[in-house]
Amino acid sequence: MVTVFALVTLNFLLPRAMPGDPVSALVDAGGPARVQDDALRAELAEYYGLDRPLAVQYGQYLGDLVRGELGTSIRYNVPVASLVLARLPWTLLLISAGMAIAVLIGWIGGVHSGWRRGRGVDRGLLVFFLTLKAFPVFFVGSLALVVFAVKLGWFPLAGTRTPFAEDEALLSTIADVLHHLALPALVLALDFAASQYLVMRAGMVSELGADYLVLGRAKGLRERQLKFRYAARNALLPAVTLLALHMGFAVTHSILVETVFAYQGLGRLLFEAVAFRDYPTLQACFLVLTLVVVSANFLADALYRRLDPRVAA
Amino acid sequence: MSMRRSPLGVIGAVLIGVVAVVAALAPLLAPYDPHALAGDSLQPPSSRHLLGTNNLGQDLLSQIIWGARSSLVVAVAAATVAVVLGTAVGATAGMLGGVVDAAVMRVVDVALAVPRLPLLVLVAALAGASRTSVTLVIGLLTWPVVARLVRSQTLSLRGRGFIHAARGFGGGLPYIVRRHLVPALGPVLVATFVAISANAVLLEASLAFLGLGDPAGMSWGLILNRALLHPGLYFTSAWLWWVLPAGFAITLSVLGFTFLGVGLEPVLNPRWRRVGPS
Repeated sequence: MVTVFALVTLNFLLPRAMPGDPVSALVDAGGPARVQDDALRAELAEYYGLDRPLAVQYGQYLGDLVRGELGTSIRYNVPVASLVLARLPWTLLLISAGMAIAVLIGWIGGVHSGWRRGRGVDRGLLVFFLTLKAFPVFFVGSLALVVFAVKLGWFPLAGTRTPFAEDEALLSTIADVLHHLALPALVLALDFAASQYLVMRAGMVSELGADYLVLGRAKGLRERQLKFRYAARNALLPAVTLLALHMGFAVTHSILVETVFAYQGLGRLLFEAVAFRDYPTLQACFLVLTLVVVSANFLADALYRRLDPRVAA
Repeated sequence: MSMRRSPLGVIGAVLIGVVAVVAALAPLLAPYDPHALAGDSLQPPSSRHLLGTNNLGQDLLSQIIWGARSSLVVAVAAATVAVVLGTAVGATAGMLGGVVDAAVMRVVDVALAVPRLPLLVLVAALAGASRTSVTLVIGLLTWPVVARLVRSQTLSLRGRGFIHAARGFGGGLPYIVRRHLVPALGPVLVATFVAISANAVLLEASLAFLGLGDPAGMSWGLILNRALLHPGLYFTSAWLWWVLPAGFAITLSVLGFTFLGVGLEPVLNPRWRRVGPS
């Protein structure tokens, strides 16, 4: 709760503490009014409420926020709330799809690697995932676009939907969305899988010498059973906790991925808002993205309680 | 302190060493002025331009070489800011304990919850993107990670004999932190520094890629940004020649720092030798 409040306040103060203001961006971008027109500036500042004292602006900001009003986009001249709401589902879709794939790849890799620590498989996987992690996600994204979208033509070049699609049937719409989602989600997942792999591997390694494994082996349990039902289950705990922290990275990388693929989510909106000094949109994007991360943390906490009976007690 | 047991660490050290040498000798190594219009535009690699030229006819090899300098400077400077600030805050909180500790850790928790890149984008967009501002912003956003680590280490060190002894002889807080705590934390700090540097290279490139780099400077991320936003050229082979070198330059430096970190872990901290990657 404190975290949320601090974020809200930070979100308000930060843009105002910085040089450059949206009115000058608007006036400059207007073209003919490039020559500084003081009357016009004052009028615009008044219209957007930028001339009032900071405390008043802050009070109004909080009030609006409670009512779900995020202001009017200075660039598009439409309510920011509707802009953000239209974009948010796409980002959530992208992140959850990417995370799901990443967890699958990373955890399976981590379990195998940790179980065979120091052997060839482990070394190979470790170097592979570390290398993967070093590739900037926007570079991988661009290369993936060149290979799979341009050269092979398997996937669309950009966007979230085929524009002006005539076929409105539900099934083909879903297929279209998935088709556009596949490449960005995969790129996001590759980057993210490495972190998951490292955590899972470390978890497995720390379970290796545990008494219950020795006992299990003495009882004659199969290697497979020991690996997945026993060791991996315990190694899952730190992995789930860190999943929350990694949500932050996923949000971060979704901005880059969305920019590369022109995927019409929040990240792309943020990128565009930056270029236009669109305060309200910028603030709203930042706020919603951070709230996504904070609620993910909360969710992981709850999940952790269910997974580990010791914490619940 | 033998690095021989870790081939990954050696590879990392070599990679970083090469980037550092290139960065230091940039004026000597670069065949052209990176800003000069040295030839025809969009040339594929040739004997005159080893990596070809960009849309303005600037030599790409020279740009990559000068880019090494800015990437490395930003990474190391940002990591220094983060480690110094994080150590100061973490050690103070850990040593003082009580209300100070609780308050500081509250701030750190909040700061850790903020996703980094969105905030970085916000600040860089508003503060204007110069090399100094980007460095400071990365450093100022990364310190909480260090602070939390240093605090937990400090708590475990605080009860040790040598700290008690120093206190008993009347050593003040700054003295104890400087003379006893920091040396004891050394290995952890070095490993953290390397990890943050890797991250900083990526963050700087990401920011530049989003168009928030120093427009007057020369950086790898900026090359990618220019190439990706150049209209009408997307995905042609000329575009590939433009993008690939910068992309791999970033990747190799991050890889260098990462491998160095992996190699340093067991060497610097005997406690991790049992469980850490070999």
